[in-house]
Amino acid sequence: MDFIVDIIAKYSLVRILISFSLLIAIIMLNAIVMGYLERKICARIQRRWGPMEVGVQGWMQMFLDGVKLLAKQLIVPREANPFLFRMAPLLCFTPVAMAFAVIPFSESFYAMDLNIGLIYLLAMGSLNVFAILIAGWSSNNKYSLFGALRSVAQNVAYEIPILLSLLAVVLVTTSFNFKEIVAYQSGLLSFWMCQPVAFIIFLVAGCAETNRVPFDLPEAESELTAGYFTEYGGFSFGLFAIAEYGNLFIMSSVATTVFLGGWNGPFGLDFYSGPILGVFWFLLKVFILMLIMIWVRWTYPRVRFDQLMNLSWKYLIPFSLVNLLITAFIVKII
Amino acid sequence: MSLSTELVKILNAVEIKAVEADYKKQGYHVEVLLNKDQVRDFSKIMLEKEFYLDFVTAVHIESGFQAVYQFGHFEESCHVNAKAVTKDGTIHTICDIFHGANWHERETHDFYGLKFTDHPDLRVLILDEEDADLNPLLKKENKLKSLEKITRSEESQDKPAKSVKNKAAAKIREKKAKPEVKSEDKQDDKPAESS
Amino acid sequence: MGTLTTRFSTIQDPDEKHKFLLNMGPQHPCTHGVLRIVLEMDGEYAMGIDPILGYGHRMHEKMAECRQWSGFYPNTGRIDYGGAIPYNHGYCALIERMAGIEVPERAEYIRVITVELNRIASHFLGVGAYVIDLGAFTPILYMFDDREDILDALEDITGSRLTYCHHRVGGVSKDIDDLFIKRTRAIIKNIRSRFDMYDRLVTGNIIFQKRTKDVGIIPVEMARRYGATGPVLRGSGLGFDIRKNEPYSVYPEFDFDIPTGENGDAFDRYMVRMLELEQSLRIIEQALDKLPDGPVMAKVKRVKLQPGDCSFSVEAARGMLTYYLVGDGSNVPYKLKIRVPSYSNLSLLEELCKGSLIADLVSAMGSLDLIIPEIDR
Repeated sequence: MDFIVDIIAKYSLVRILISFSLLIAIIMLNAIVMGYLERKICARIQRRWGPMEVGVQGWMQMFLDGVKLLAKQLIVPREANPFLFRMAPLLCFTPVAMAFAVIPFSESFYAMDLNIGLIYLLAMGSLNVFAILIAGWSSNNKYSLFGALRSVAQNVAYEIPILLSLLAVVLVTTSFNFKEIVAYQSGLLSFWMCQPVAFIIFLVAGCAETNRVPFDLPEAESELTAGYFTEYGGFSFGLFAIAEYGNLFIMSSVATTVFLGGWNGPFGLDFYSGPILGVFWFLLKVFILMLIMIWVRWTYPRVRFDQLMNLSWKYLIPFSLVNLLITAFIVKII
Repeated sequence: MSLSTELVKILNAVEIKAVEADYKKQGYHVEVLLNKDQVRDFSKIMLEKEFYLDFVTAVHIESGFQAVYQFGHFEESCHVNAKAVTKDGTIHTICDIFHGANWHERETHDFYGLKFTDHPDLRVLILDEEDADLNPLLKKENKLKSLEKITRSEESQDKPAKSVKNKAAAKIREKKAKPEVKSEDKQDDKPAESS
Repeated sequence: MGTLTTRFSTIQDPDEKHKFLLNMGPQHPCTHGVLRIVLEMDGEYAMGIDPILGYGHRMHEKMAECRQWSGFYPNTGRIDYGGAIPYNHGYCALIERMAGIEVPERAEYIRVITVELNRIASHFLGVGAYVIDLGAFTPILYMFDDREDILDALEDITGSRLTYCHHRVGGVSKDIDDLFIKRTRAIIKNIRSRFDMYDRLVTGNIIFQKRTKDVGIIPVEMARRYGATGPVLRGSGLGFDIRKNEPYSVYPEFDFDIPTGENGDAFDRYMVRMLELEQSLRIIEQALDKLPDGPVMAKVKRVKLQPGDCSFSVEAARGMLTYYLVGDGSNVPYKLKIRVPSYSNLSLLEELCKGSLIADLVSAMGSLDLIIPEIDR
């Protein structure tokens, strides 16, 4: 065991290779699990059974869907820009994989410990919008272009409340490092209690940032058929779907780390006894958040685009600014 | 005074032939027989009286077309059926008065080739553009009938052409049946059984 | 199909170079069925709207002219797949009016019961599809749950689930039994118990209200010019319903209201449909209570269509349906015109949505509750 740890510590290339392959595995697994959960839970919400045919309770459905997507031909429309059209799914997927590198699953289970982890993660998260823009533009389809344009406007608008709400927490912790932010919440305190406004704003904006209903305007089915990925089929469509679930995971894990105390046990109950239990708590919180998003998605209708913009510019941003000011004021006094 | 009697008076005043119809048998209250050039005046009166347009259609007859307009009223129970015979296959549009007539006229143009003059946009509506000249509802020569044959008249009403095997026999029967009034009344009561 | 020229096939004015054409349909999720709309877009605003029909055209009117009147029964059920029984009813009532046939009272009651059940099923379909247009997928599955019960019950007496052919000239083809009555009463109870849930799930939802209120406002005057009928008209505040205005069948014997809206926006049209569910339930309940005994079919010998014309209007699920028949003395109709409610309801779309956001267009169009094959016929 020590021997392996030595090698990993000595040769950073090996470490990178191992962690990267693990990360890809986690992203794929996350997409499969979330895809399955989403189909099952939405079916239950709608008084249906969901997938039941393959395996017990249809657990193999997503694997088979993956195989089906892999087996399909990637059709490039004649008028599309073939290079960018093929690039876009990869561009969408790569930032997600890179962002996963700094997610701290537990105190010692992470790929990379950056002192600007939070900023890095948000930067990677917002790269997503480039991929969507490229996908929408290169398809040479008006619906795709609509979706892409909407997506850009939406992501720009909602990046601001996300940053502002996180900044309020960072003012208290005075660190961008995930480890330190989590360490700050080791006792009874976690930030959703003392920063409830920031937490709610983050959840709403995060929902919009990941293009989930009620903010799924870039792919608004009844208006834009499928938005930016109208022309995509096969595994390039699959990559978009995986990236979407990956983004969902990233948003939820940021919320978990910053507001819900990361890998700490809930309510200060310190069950912590090694990396395994920490990972358990972390994943539990992340999945609860993601399940809430699924619940919301299958309950609400979609907002209109001007309403979406109003929500961000007229409500979320002013409120998060006020919240930031009050936090700064309190921190200064204390 | 009910709306239908009032309407008949108004229409008769401007020299439009209008009579009250038997609602139980015909399904409308007022029957209007228009000249081809009275269509627009008539529909202006209908708009003033707050009628809505039910439909516009046409019937293909030997001497050309019979355009049929049906109007209804939202507040009162009053359906108005107006017919105008056009021999040259053109009639003036009413779609600037009743905007809903636009599509009905386009459809009639599709199906019959009936031209609505001054219609702003007489493209095909329901048919494919390639089939624009198909006019599917036009009848073949041998199936065409004259206006009299499809119009309700005292004669035809009393005489539901029952068990008539050929036209010649029918004509003879008509001639014979005319004087017998009593037996025809019976037939009128139960035309279904009599056939 | 050949290329169809639209009103805006090219944009040539240099000032309007920033405008572009968007082809919505025929395979678009929001145009339920096969409607194609060509939009002239200025950004996200639809400045010009040109609906193109005919993708589901079957020429029912020609079919009617090519066969005996009795051969047209099955066609009536296939014009509007959402609510087919009123179409059966209208056609049979038309022939009965022409031939002067009296229908036994029990048959009339059964007709009313089936028509109203079908109206409920149709409203569930329409409202559910509308909510999908707005992005919420769940409510339609609850509504289909209720609709399923109705279809099961109707299947027992009519033999089909969607394209009914149950009414006959002179009555109905099959009598209802005690099982059907028991089932219908259970359905009524079940649907009533769900209203509260629909209120919370859809009507009370703030996003739903924001998407529908003040969207697609139809003033009464505009509805009159276009001849709009049904919930579209009643949403504008006019309580016009053939069942009350020109009572046919045994409707005068029932006590029911005509719900109306106030502003004529999409929300009012939605509310009218939801309130009509309750009224239809009331009619069915009263009909089941009063149901007389007796035959369900009059003795009808061969009917010849007299020379002359005749029209009959019934209230279908989407509005007033008029059959207009011209007979020539044979048993083949010389001309049959079917005036469908969605036809005039769609024709006002252009004026309704000019200059609105594409999202509002989808919302307004969904609230008209269109069945496209019905328009194409």
